Amino acid sequence: MSNLSAAACTVDATETAGKPAAVRSVSLKIGEFTRRFGSPVGLVLPILIVALWQTAASYQWVEPVFLPAPRKVVDAFWLMLTKQDLFFDFLASMNIVGQAFVYGSAAGIGLGTAAGLSRKFEQFLGTTVDTVRHIPGIAWLPLIVLWLGIGAPAKILVIAKSVFFPLFLNTLQGIRSVEKNYIELGQVLLLTRRQMVRKVILPAAMPNIMVSLRYAAGLAWALVVVAEGLSGLEGLGFLIFRAQGLLLTDQLLVCMAIIGLVGFVIDRQMYALQCRILRWQQGFKG
Amino acid sequence: MGIAGKVEIRSVRKHYTVDGDRLQILSGVTFDVGSGHFLSIVGPSGCGKSTLLRLIVGLDSEYEGDILLNGERIGGPSRARGIVFQDHRLLPWLTLEQNIGLSLENMEWSAQDKAEAVRGQTALVGLSGFENAYPHQLSGGMAQRAAIARALINKPGILLLDEPLGALDAITRIRLQEELLRIWRVEGTTMILVTHDVDEAIFLSNEIVVMSAHPGYISKRFIVDLPSPRDRAGNEFIELKRLILAELHLYRQKAQSDTENWMNMASLI
Repeated sequence: MSNLSAAACTVDATETAGKPAAVRSVSLKIGEFTRRFGSPVGLVLPILIVALWQTAASYQWVEPVFLPAPRKVVDAFWLMLTKQDLFFDFLASMNIVGQAFVYGSAAGIGLGTAAGLSRKFEQFLGTTVDTVRHIPGIAWLPLIVLWLGIGAPAKILVIAKSVFFPLFLNTLQGIRSVEKNYIELGQVLLLTRRQMVRKVILPAAMPNIMVSLRYAAGLAWALVVVAEGLSGLEGLGFLIFRAQGLLLTDQLLVCMAIIGLVGFVIDRQMYALQCRILRWQQGFKG
Repeated sequence: MGIAGKVEIRSVRKHYTVDGDRLQILSGVTFDVGSGHFLSIVGPSGCGKSTLLRLIVGLDSEYEGDILLNGERIGGPSRARGIVFQDHRLLPWLTLEQNIGLSLENMEWSAQDKAEAVRGQTALVGLSGFENAYPHQLSGGMAQRAAIARALINKPGILLLDEPLGALDAITRIRLQEELLRIWRVEGTTMILVTHDVDEAIFLSNEIVVMSAHPGYISKRFIVDLPSPRDRAGNEFIELKRLILAELHLYRQKAQSDTENWMNMASLI
């Protein structure tokens, strides 16, 4: 995985070198695809897995009730999309994840920066943060559902909380590890406090922040499924647990596949963003 | 255009306290740098020459004695003094242009004036065409040129150079020495260079002060009145180098050593 990602990042760097427009437009589609989703080599294993699945279903190594054939799952997908509300459930999940991610990361970066800049503030937050952090989001959910009901707000709050901590800790750590030399340079150049934060401290902490953003995005997407499974009446997480209850294994697999694919796309998009923002970095490309 | 500054250093003493022990770094350093002069400070490592430069730039204000700039005591960094460090210290996330422009960050100039100044300064150090390069794409010499441009763009009266060429290879170093000399002539800035390269000091400066270590003090002061351009291999150059090396206890007459005589003879055969 990391292998593929590294390759994608390299392409990003060389792609921007001024090629003639005609050449670019031809290679753009393939280049774009490779950059976003990695080289086609990555498709070999998924194809093998589907082939194995098909074989297992054809020879009925597992009972069809527990493992329907790929074709049946595709049919179920079409049914759910056209006759049921799959698309709306998908949007419901995305909505929760999107909001939770934005709120949680904004709060994490904001408070992490404040704690990074002021040791007093870090000490003030320290005890609380380190205690609350160890209560998993899912353990918060029952209480928050009692307060806010089974709708979206409770889930947004719980997932935002899970997004908050990696960002808070990494931003804080990133700021604390800014080289003292750079701060000294800022002093010599008479930067104001604000300029120092904007031009020196935050960019220096950016590699840490970007890694935790990517991690938190994946975490948020994984958590929404759990949160929806535990409470509420919509979303992919709800569908997956309902399908289990009704023994609709084909629908269950549809949900699993969607969750996996969406997670993959989210991760690749975050990685592309990371490459873009950290394009000044010169690292080991593998 | 800044006016070249005059620096007076009056019995400056500086110590650090390490684990409760008092560590004297500078013990009564006194010298002047005339306006528009190029002065080099040469000395062994640990003699406190970099510490002295940090005091002059204003990064450290805990010292005894006085450091006066144009008659006023220095209190913290100011635009009147620029500094180039041994490591280029360009911010890796800014392009060359943005790095040079960082000095102008809180100047009340129009964006156009700033861009103009950056362009001019980039050209002065011979980096036109690399404006959008990131530091990791530059060679060591180019990065150090950019650092010089960043320090000069405010037109400081004094430029402090803390072994700026120390990390470069010999050929790049000689090129940049010539470049520094050219910049000094164009800008007329007072220059204070810390170095441990005696050749560099003689090639560049009007005046050289030699420091001794533990604790640091000025052991001797040399006036360099060689005509320019200076011939690095000329007799007067070599003679001065001999005197300075002797002051640093790094030079012995060849005749004093039999072994070396034998080696010289061997190399003739």
